[in-house]
Amino acid sequence: MIDQKLIDDLKKRAEEGDASVLRSPEFKSLFDAIKTIDAEKRSEYGQAVNKLRTELSEILAEKSDQESALPPIDVTAPYDANLKANEKPQLLPSEQGTIHPLTAEQDKVLDIFYRMGFTAVESREIDDDFHMFGSLNFPEGHPARDDYDTFMTTQKDKNDKPYIAPAHTSTMQNRVLKAHKQDLENGQPIAAVIPGRVFRNEDLDPRHEHTFYQLEGIYVGEGINAGHLIATLKTFLQEYYGQELEVKTQPFYFPFTEPSFEFALSCPFCDKKGCNICSQSGWIELLGCGMIHPNVLHEAGIDTEKYTGFAWGGGIDRLVMMKNGIEDVRHFHSGRLEFLRQFK
Amino acid sequence: MKFSLNTILAFNQWNKTADNIVPNGVDDLLQKIGAQLGEIDETVDFGTKYDGVVIVKVVECVKHPDADKLSLCRVDDGGVVKDVERGEDGLVQVVCGAPNCREGIMAAWLPPGATVPSSVDDDPFVLEARELRGKVSNGMLASPKELDLGESHDGILEVDGHIPAGTAFVDAYNLKDDLIIDIENKMFTHRPDLFGFIGIARELAGIQGIKYKSPEWYVSEPKIGDVEGESLTLEVINELPELVPRFTAIAMSDVKVGPSPGWLVVELAKLGQKSINNIVDLTNYIMLSTSQPLHAYDYDKVKALSGDKPTIVIRNPHKGEKLALLNGKSVEPRAEAIMIATDKQLIGVGGIMGGSETEVDDNTTNIIIECANFDMYSIRRTVMAHGLFTDAATRFTKGQSPLQNLAVQSNMINSVKQHAGGKIASAMIDDNHLKEATCKRGSLHPEVKVSVDFINVRLGLNLKASEVAKLLTNVEFEVEASGDDLTVKAPFWRTDIELREDIVEEVGRLYGYDHLPLSLPAHDLTPANRNESFDLKSFIRNRLSRAGANEVLGYSFVHGNLLEKVGQDPKNAFEVGNALSPDLQYYRLSLMPSLLEKIHPNIKAGYDEFALFEIGKTHSLQHPSDDDEVPQAYEFTGLVVTAADKLKKSGAAYYQAAKYLENLAGLKLRYEPLTKEMQAYDVAKPYNPDRSASVSLPSGDFLGIIGEFKPSVLRNLKLPKYTAGFEVDTTILGYLMNGMTKAYHPPFKYPSVKQDMTLKLDSKVTIQQLLDDSEDIYKDAKPEGIVHHDIEVLDIFQRQDDQEHKQVTLRFTTTGMDRTLTDKEVGTGLDKFYEKLKSKLGAERI
Repeated sequence: MIDQKLIDDLKKRAEEGDASVLRSPEFKSLFDAIKTIDAEKRSEYGQAVNKLRTELSEILAEKSDQESALPPIDVTAPYDANLKANEKPQLLPSEQGTIHPLTAEQDKVLDIFYRMGFTAVESREIDDDFHMFGSLNFPEGHPARDDYDTFMTTQKDKNDKPYIAPAHTSTMQNRVLKAHKQDLENGQPIAAVIPGRVFRNEDLDPRHEHTFYQLEGIYVGEGINAGHLIATLKTFLQEYYGQELEVKTQPFYFPFTEPSFEFALSCPFCDKKGCNICSQSGWIELLGCGMIHPNVLHEAGIDTEKYTGFAWGGGIDRLVMMKNGIEDVRHFHSGRLEFLRQFK
Repeated sequence: MKFSLNTILAFNQWNKTADNIVPNGVDDLLQKIGAQLGEIDETVDFGTKYDGVVIVKVVECVKHPDADKLSLCRVDDGGVVKDVERGEDGLVQVVCGAPNCREGIMAAWLPPGATVPSSVDDDPFVLEARELRGKVSNGMLASPKELDLGESHDGILEVDGHIPAGTAFVDAYNLKDDLIIDIENKMFTHRPDLFGFIGIARELAGIQGIKYKSPEWYVSEPKIGDVEGESLTLEVINELPELVPRFTAIAMSDVKVGPSPGWLVVELAKLGQKSINNIVDLTNYIMLSTSQPLHAYDYDKVKALSGDKPTIVIRNPHKGEKLALLNGKSVEPRAEAIMIATDKQLIGVGGIMGGSETEVDDNTTNIIIECANFDMYSIRRTVMAHGLFTDAATRFTKGQSPLQNLAVQSNMINSVKQHAGGKIASAMIDDNHLKEATCKRGSLHPEVKVSVDFINVRLGLNLKASEVAKLLTNVEFEVEASGDDLTVKAPFWRTDIELREDIVEEVGRLYGYDHLPLSLPAHDLTPANRNESFDLKSFIRNRLSRAGANEVLGYSFVHGNLLEKVGQDPKNAFEVGNALSPDLQYYRLSLMPSLLEKIHPNIKAGYDEFALFEIGKTHSLQHPSDDDEVPQAYEFTGLVVTAADKLKKSGAAYYQAAKYLENLAGLKLRYEPLTKEMQAYDVAKPYNPDRSASVSLPSGDFLGIIGEFKPSVLRNLKLPKYTAGFEVDTTILGYLMNGMTKAYHPPFKYPSVKQDMTLKLDSKVTIQQLLDDSEDIYKDAKPEGIVHHDIEVLDIFQRQDDQEHKQVTLRFTTTGMDRTLTDKEVGTGLDKFYEKLKSKLGAERI
């Protein structure tokens, strides 16, 4: 569709390192022509012009890389030639190194759960419809399956459904339940926590992130009841905050638990008197939880006559923000040293 | 979901549905709501702003002598207001500008000293006695707008005639101490019945162990009367029975459309709804009580828009079809939307909003009342597609029970008759696609059989069958107990009771989760497995941060531009199809681009020299899938070191990156120039092939890539010249943690001998080659016996005038393990070593 001679000419100029070729009248006229091309051929033509632009840019980049190239080095050497002793590469001062506050907190939380007898499992950042919804008792057509809130790929899974950026770490439940089913039948309860990155299709602002960090927990065994759930979370939180706390539950709805709760604790920062962190209420809503829905257990082949269990999920980012008084959730992914180096 | 506590109390009393549901005060009730029903968003004291407002009778209303648009009124307040100027007959003079002000009506009077209710929240306006065109007005007669009851400011509120003059407004409309309680909607996702105050009232009783009995009209077989007077024809054609399982409609004639009575205006206003006219208001009020949305059409307008006979068709829209809505906007509905139409054109978006062309207005005399059920998911998609968030849609998206339509219809018909006159003008059309068994059973799901033990095990309680039964029957479940086995039938409005676990939930909530016994699960002493991958990552973080590097977290998604800037091919990346932000177009193919992107802002912020690292997952269409056929993540550890140009750092940054990597690994690694094949991988794309290497463990396991970056990458991301990094496979790093460290030797007992040798070599000989050969040769050339040795590179020098050669100084540290070595014997060894090395590499000792 584009004159081959013109293409060759432009490429030749690019190969000669003529950076102005992208701004040349000959090249620009190709773009101008888009408007005048027949509607049905326009898209094909537009793609061809864009492809040419990409090719020209690549040729130019490669050319420029060649021109400004530094000499090759001996990659097996410990340092460059002709350096004075004090110029040899060194590590930076130890005191300026930091661990990200979110990963540090996650380690701290994991440590408590290890001590409580939980194992830990990695989550994932891309999953399929079955693990994210089907195995978790989300009926077909459930709003969460719409793509308003959940990132989905244009690539499809084996069932011709888009892959999903998990919106909650529960996406791992079915795998963990299946992996430990045999242990369960041998008398070992399933006790696992699953920390991981989760995603929600939101625009960024100080209070909204599309990427955040959750910790999921599951416990399945014989005779497990809702009192065990509340006691387990309370025990964890008291250990985490190092103080006695009050907790309360409010009924909630999740497809994958029945009953479902929202779980709140008395504010550990003000002793329930009311402060900025708890919005003067004395209570902090921290996580969602509930008894694992029998359909979720069934899906993993677990006998719901014999076994019951509970699950919960909460945000690690919330814990860190509250603890440090961080005002803007966007700092976490900003990579700003001014932020990071405050967390020694 | 908002409701008024006073509305419920009055409703309960009037219909004898339950005993006092506030036995222990409002605070106790609120606490129970939070614990057993759902989170309270807010509570608003609705009545206080009406303190001081008094119902009066307009006894006299004449034209103001000096103003065309004002009337001079004398009102009767029953003498209840103190400190106000009265005539000898006790009446009070008020000047009023409302066109509907006339003798004999009842009105709401704001006496001097009262605050205008609508001004209470922002800028309180207190009334006084003042002159208007020479006549004293003692306060004012209030419009619905001034009373904060609606938008209407055209006239004063006409108060219902049966209320005696002098009644306080809060008493007349049951507003004293009224609380509007707003419970978060998301608590009720599975409870469509709680979007009406009858449902809420039932729960408020249930959670306090109080028996609730729904009003007779709601639970008994509905009786729809016969056609009275003129008969209006109406046909319903349901083309979408899957999505509209039930559609009922009836025509009524001789309806008098007009303003709603005061109580209705107040009831709607309490919940934030504005009054439109009596018919529309009644549909809304009945929705607010039963949670079942209704819609009223003007029959004659429907008729005019139909063909031969008035017809309602439920169908999908035709291509390009548009509809003017009641909210004044126009919509071109999505192809799958459930639409209400005549046989000729659209007249409403089913379950969401009616069309303006069939609206009930002041001239309407005949109406059609629709009471239907719509597929909740379809409604939600239409709501989202067109941004039509209406009260009806909120309720239909929860899936209303299709077993209550006729009861609601019957209530609506009676209400219309009572408040707007009107006669039944057609048979009830009931297009019902439910299973016969469901209708017969009168419950959406079959009875649930459950044992008391099943419930107790899951709640950790010891309830008796009778206690469980009482909790359930309080909220109108039918329970048959046979010993410990219960057969439970849910009432027709419950859509959520299907499994035994649903009964457990119901019992637990009504009992109160807040007083379940708390105990930790019993546990044996089997240790829980630590997660090696998490431990490894902690180890890496500690090592790198101790080496002065800062951990960052980058997004899992990147903009296509970033991929292009570093030469990676977006076609290999998983593409996010629906991200709100273009910054999140692709799953990242490697960590390096995100790390590099974070350098420039920090340099700009004044940080001259730093190292950033991240441990994270990457995804590529070129990676294989895992056992579940789900894309597999590769876990990488990436690090960049950089120094601002102004520091003029000497040497290649590459070596500093290598320093970091070896410090992390804890041992010498092997580096090889990037092969062409390697350069083609996306992860290698940012690197400058002349100054990069693939790096492996001594065992040969491929670890990753290390190097400096292409000039185009430096330019595109505004990076300092002194920048290098590595990206290595975190899993392979894990091998190092499993015992594969440098071989141990016991501490030396005898002194070491250190000797240096400077060699002139062909500059093409790599240091690795030199060291490998040196190692190979020296291990045989060194002094005999048990001897430990170490060879390190002390210096590398290249003369400006001789690029063909380089000079490398090696330091040999040789230690006898069972004796002291002499300089001489070590020197002899080194001489032997040199002879062999010379012939092998052509090296020259200088």
